[in-house]
Amino acid sequence: MSNFVPLESLLPVESLDRRSWLRAIAVGLTTLGTLEVEAAQHVHAETAAEKAKGPYRVKEFTAAEYKTLQRLAVLIVPADNVSGSALDAGAPEFIDTLAHQNEQIANIFHGGFAWLDAEMRKRYNATFLAAKPEQQTQMLDALVEAGRELAERQNEELVYQKSAVYKDFTGYTVRRANELGAGVAFFDWVRKMTVDAFYTSPVGFKDLNYIGNRALSRYTVPAEAMEYALKRSPFA
Amino acid sequence: MPQNTSSQEVFDAVVVGSGAGGGTAVHVLTAKGLKVALLEAGPMLDVATEFKEHKVPADYEHRGAEEGGKAYFGQGKPFGFFSTTSGGWQLEGEPYTVGEGSQFQWFRSRILGGRTNHYGRMSFRFAEYDFKPYDKDGLGFNWPVSYQDISPYYDKAEEFIGIAGTRENVPSCPDGKFLPAPPPKVHEMLVKKACDKLGIICIANRRAVITKNLNGRAACHYCGQCGRGCQTASAYSSAQVQVFPAMKTGRLKVFDLAMAREVLTDNNGKATGVLYIDKKTRTEKIIKAKVVVLAASACESTRILLNSKTKEFPNGLANGSGLLGRYLMDTVGFGLSGTVPALEGMPHYNTDGYGGAHLFMPWWLWDKHNKLDFPRGYHIEIGGGYGMPSVGGYHGAARRWGYGANMKAKIRESYGTSIGFAGRGEMIPNIHSYCELDPNVVDKWGIPVLKFHFKWTDYEWKQARHMEKTFAEIITAMGGKVSGLSAAQRESQGISIPGTIIHEVGGARMGKSAKDSILNGYCQAHEMKNLFVVDGASFASNPDKNPTLTINALAWRACDYLAEEMKKGNV
Repeated sequence: MSNFVPLESLLPVESLDRRSWLRAIAVGLTTLGTLEVEAAQHVHAETAAEKAKGPYRVKEFTAAEYKTLQRLAVLIVPADNVSGSALDAGAPEFIDTLAHQNEQIANIFHGGFAWLDAEMRKRYNATFLAAKPEQQTQMLDALVEAGRELAERQNEELVYQKSAVYKDFTGYTVRRANELGAGVAFFDWVRKMTVDAFYTSPVGFKDLNYIGNRALSRYTVPAEAMEYALKRSPFA
Repeated sequence: MPQNTSSQEVFDAVVVGSGAGGGTAVHVLTAKGLKVALLEAGPMLDVATEFKEHKVPADYEHRGAEEGGKAYFGQGKPFGFFSTTSGGWQLEGEPYTVGEGSQFQWFRSRILGGRTNHYGRMSFRFAEYDFKPYDKDGLGFNWPVSYQDISPYYDKAEEFIGIAGTRENVPSCPDGKFLPAPPPKVHEMLVKKACDKLGIICIANRRAVITKNLNGRAACHYCGQCGRGCQTASAYSSAQVQVFPAMKTGRLKVFDLAMAREVLTDNNGKATGVLYIDKKTRTEKIIKAKVVVLAASACESTRILLNSKTKEFPNGLANGSGLLGRYLMDTVGFGLSGTVPALEGMPHYNTDGYGGAHLFMPWWLWDKHNKLDFPRGYHIEIGGGYGMPSVGGYHGAARRWGYGANMKAKIRESYGTSIGFAGRGEMIPNIHSYCELDPNVVDKWGIPVLKFHFKWTDYEWKQARHMEKTFAEIITAMGGKVSGLSAAQRESQGISIPGTIIHEVGGARMGKSAKDSILNGYCQAHEMKNLFVVDGASFASNPDKNPTLTINALAWRACDYLAEEMKKGNV
């Protein structure tokens, strides 16, 4: 191939814990003189502010709404033998915070919670929170199923709209949203914000085993990873 | 708007813009002992607040979705909250317009260092044939300079900025002065093996990231977040590497939040300075200088010249040819992704490296054009690895897998198994692609704005189809499955929207004479000896090589020449 830096793959990837790394960077910057000392202090001040946070106080949702949100978080990303749940990862706090900052998000969730309880009463004569766990998952399964159906129809329509053959063909239109349409849209919001909160949290980092954004003095690729993939590739 | 012209200080040179061209200009000119003024339309760069490379989403309660969840409504920062893009596709109060039937998007940065704060840092030399494209296939225009003219300045730029890469002797992508390159990652090794099988050249990437200490800058610490800015300046940005050191010479004065409107001239065919709007006070101000060096970006410099109308040049300064704004080019872009089963279940490792792919594929068919249905070529960039989880990254996966334990397990299994390819190809300059002043619109500073017209031709579309076929072949050869575009999407989205690769160049192209070009081979206006344009505006063609390194080299050469000519009293 060529004169790459040789693979020093037998050495373990050097890593520092986050705090000592921030310190190392700060010291490095100060001695280099490429950045003022305030810069390093700025980094430390923010880290300290993070630690000073107390227990979360709900800002936007009612107690019942917030409990529903917490339950949904656990259902969407449950704990397993690898990592904790979206509740552990702070998904309800994240959603409450942004909803409090943005009326548009707040309305989606206030309305969504109301829709969900109304639908649950129709189906099971109980609010989402009061229903049995299997009733809760039945409801979510129905929303996922309805969501897939809608997406499929939308994709088909896209194909027809973009196709030169069907350019002027007006007989094909998306079927009207089914009776769960509003719930599908709401669940999509809960789910996307919940997975966002989960995977961007320390719990989610652990779940994915994300080990990047560290300061290394040298970059190496472990031989075991290389061997693993090559063995399973067409180039074995 | 009030005018304040009280300043009597006359600089040796005034440089407009602080990106790759302007940064190089102030570095070279102050080193030659000249007294220089630098105008930047944005604020000073404060790396402590601007650069977020060592942050993680959990450091912010919005996790990167921004205050009020702006990102959920498509109103977040371009390229995400953490990127150091101080600018965007639209700037409040500073619009541009697009002609009917055209598409064009213009990314502008408004901060010291400009787009060098966040660019991809791919640093490829033009090939010998890139300077004489017309001689090769009868299309487009030759440059008035050759590879041999520019090569010494590629050397200087590479040695000063610091480029990691390897010597490979590939004619389409000449070797430079390289620092050691980091080793290929696992997915890249699979790509290389697939390329070997397909006869595609795959070599170490060349990026403006230092892998050894250089000029007081610390070597890369492999956090992999170059797009978020680099506090240690291990990744090149003109602000940190050129402007800040130039300020320390005491010969550079920076005027920030200074929006240049026009080049001022006297009655003897000479530029005398620049008129700018001081955004802080909403006042017109003037900088007087013996030489004017524009480096505001290809289109912004073109705009300044178009707005500098005189009796002699009623259609814009140094525009006797009428070609100012003409033959605007962007890079042809196309992307395709897939999933690779061989990567499933692999022991995770840190795939950050020096912040971009460690391998790339230079154009490999430079002598096979008789077998192709399009002229010129493209290079291929690789994406993949265990990237930092971010807001928006899992919406698609969640929709596919529903919710609950199964969804969580599937996302975990598929993490890091994707591979992506981006083609970056050469467009042929055409008469339908240009910018002009919009006669009906001014920005909030009262400056007439640009109107863009742009068309891809069959040359570009056919090249994009070749990219698509090639990427699918590579993915398949890796044992992977193409997951990219559906047939319907391909019809409408099979090529990048013009401008969106942010390689827009041309507009004040260089050439042999004042009849067929604006500038000569030294980026000097044919029709005004003390006027230079040292950004991408001078490009006569837009080879598949990302333009920044060539802007660095051309600016360096232009400023060397300028300083010499000044000594001789010729400018």
